Amino acid sequence: MKKEIPLAITFISGVLLVLALFIPHKPFGNLEEIFNDWYIIVSGFTFLLGIDSLLGYNFGKLKRKEKDAPYALVLILSFFITLTWGIVEIVRTPEHNPFGPTSTFSLYFYNSIFIPLQATMFAILSFFIASAAYRAFRAKEINSALLLVSAVLVMLGRIPLGQSAAPYVITVIFLIFAVYFFAESAGVTEPKIKIAYILVALIFVALIYPLGFVYFRQHIPEFADWIMNVPQMAGKRGIMIGIALGGIAMSIRIILGIERTYMK
Amino acid sequence: MTSIIWTWIAAFFTLAILSFLYKDNPLYKFAEHVYVGSSAAFTILYVWVFDAYPKLVMGFREKVGMQKYLLIIPLILSLFIILRFIKPLSWLSRWSIAFTVGMAAGLGITGLTQGFLVPQVQASFLPLFVQGPTTGQTILLTFNNIIIVFGTIFTILYFYFSREHKGLLGVSSKIGVTILMITFGASFGYTIMARISLLIQRVYFLLHNWLGLV
Amino acid sequence: MIELLKKLAGIDRRFIYAAVFLATAIPILTKATMKVEPLPEVRKAYEYIESLPESSVVMVSIDYDAASMPELQPMLEAFLHHSFSKNLRVIMLGHWPLGLPLGQQALEKVAGQYNKEYGVDYVFLGYRPGVAAVIINLGKDFRTVFSSDYAYTPIDSLPLMREVSNYKNVKLLLGLEAGAVGDAWVQYGYARYNLPIILGSTAVSTPDYYPYMQANQVISVIGGLRGAADYETLLGITGEASIGMLPQSVIHLVIIAFIIIGNIGFLVLRRAKK
Repeated sequence: MKKEIPLAITFISGVLLVLALFIPHKPFGNLEEIFNDWYIIVSGFTFLLGIDSLLGYNFGKLKRKEKDAPYALVLILSFFITLTWGIVEIVRTPEHNPFGPTSTFSLYFYNSIFIPLQATMFAILSFFIASAAYRAFRAKEINSALLLVSAVLVMLGRIPLGQSAAPYVITVIFLIFAVYFFAESAGVTEPKIKIAYILVALIFVALIYPLGFVYFRQHIPEFADWIMNVPQMAGKRGIMIGIALGGIAMSIRIILGIERTYMK
Repeated sequence: MTSIIWTWIAAFFTLAILSFLYKDNPLYKFAEHVYVGSSAAFTILYVWVFDAYPKLVMGFREKVGMQKYLLIIPLILSLFIILRFIKPLSWLSRWSIAFTVGMAAGLGITGLTQGFLVPQVQASFLPLFVQGPTTGQTILLTFNNIIIVFGTIFTILYFYFSREHKGLLGVSSKIGVTILMITFGASFGYTIMARISLLIQRVYFLLHNWLGLV
Repeated sequence: MIELLKKLAGIDRRFIYAAVFLATAIPILTKATMKVEPLPEVRKAYEYIESLPESSVVMVSIDYDAASMPELQPMLEAFLHHSFSKNLRVIMLGHWPLGLPLGQQALEKVAGQYNKEYGVDYVFLGYRPGVAAVIINLGKDFRTVFSSDYAYTPIDSLPLMREVSNYKNVKLLLGLEAGAVGDAWVQYGYARYNLPIILGSTAVSTPDYYPYMQANQVISVIGGLRGAADYETLLGITGEASIGMLPQSVIHLVIIAFIIIGNIGFLVLRRAKK
């Protein structure tokens, strides 16, 4: 029974929602509304899962006087201070809402402690992404060069200084490609390939002016629009269709009780 | 005066997190643990304020007849979740989890089919020749449609792993990779933009609100 | 020479961090703002809102928190200025509880500037868990989800809400998105009820929304800090997004320079190894 009832609950709720999509009238439409309402209530409570283990883990650290016990204490204290402050505001404010505009919780705690913590936590990612761009963004072969060029062109097309900077960035990138192909040609003995390499190098040099100084200087924003709306859009759609198919397959497995990892 | 103190507190926590860039240190660890602890308390507060109180407490107070009795079911399921914290009864929480998982699966199927797959596939049925006002436009629009149609198909084919990528499938998945690289490049560019915006705002806070330099 | 290139290929990360920080701080200190030419998709969103008749009801959803506040908060404020100056009526709710106060604070601030009255010109409903279920049930009847607003005032005692039963009475949803809720608005709100949607999103999720735009499932997308700056420009206001445009430009160029330097070092060293 410990297994059958949950499996039945999953099956009934999943199937009902699918049926309600095809038959939106009574009784399915109303049942869908009621089930959704229950889901709104119950899913909120699932957020509480994990809080007990977080606190238990940190109380344990404190009890065993581990090396980072002081931080465990900080965590526990900030948990209880935040909670108490919030409860006081629920009782005190006319809205009974600690997140409302008259609450000191919202005004001081949220604005001056929570926002700086969360916002800065994510702001430091900008340093890591800059460092990663420098370290990992290497043109190892044609595909990675393409990725790099696409990223650079999109960035140039989306920043206000992009149009003025584009000619110089293009010059540098194309010169690098030209020098690279020229240098590669020195090591090739087959004359046909050697000429091809030199030609590629020359094409890059020849393209600098018309592409960089004429086209991109004027049209890099439109070019970035084009990348976003055409090839980027197509690739994204392909990926997302794949993900959607996977999601649907997974949902069907869950409803039919084939996938049961959530029961552990 | 109070607002100055709170600005200093905000600046302190901002700098404490930024100090991680130099290396992991006690100041950062302190701020990090304050963040985790208070986030957990936040969760309890908003579950009460926006869920348990208005939906259950007020629901029982205001609803009448059948609607009131029906509320007993979500009440029980919600209580079962809390039973997870009590070992001998924790198995009951599976009922509630099973309900949320089943609902999520059902919602997922309907949303993804009706709201994503069907409209997205429909939108990919584009004419492979478009007559524009000028020859240039005709070429561009036709070219764009060809990229959208085949780019989408080839990207999907690239993720088709049930057969070896040889012959026609090999060629198409190669083109798929090319499209994917452009896609990932564009996404990476956008990700950089997003992360940088966050930094700009934090630095602006320090220079403007805290130091008053700007 | 090779030694120099080796160094270029292996600059210490802290040097990069310092460069990024200075490239942010110095442009901000100059206080200079930059002119932007609004992107077509932002212009489209702006024009749609412009076309709404006076006193139409618009809805805005706070689906972000402090982690993406720098991009989405200016967008929200610009939207509120736009709506209140055109005498549109605003209903606000959210799916990210940690971000709700951000939304409400902006709402109260901007509404105050236009002398708008709570309950008549704007309403703050708050939050309910369950994203997709909330979106679907709002389409049936707002009352099934929110029988009261954030302060537990019954919504039928608010004049604005008495006119709103479901999405049929709503002319626009602006979803401010930092994650997957944007997809839910489209996949349930638009797909089932034809709710007109504009998504304002962080730059990270913006590329994900282009397929929706191409399929006309959303009216338009306002993407990232640049999108917010475009919107501010169209409204003729200088907000935080516009101030951010110069540092945004400078750091990007610095990052592009680092990418190029890294690659020069890499390519030369690879040749040298051969």
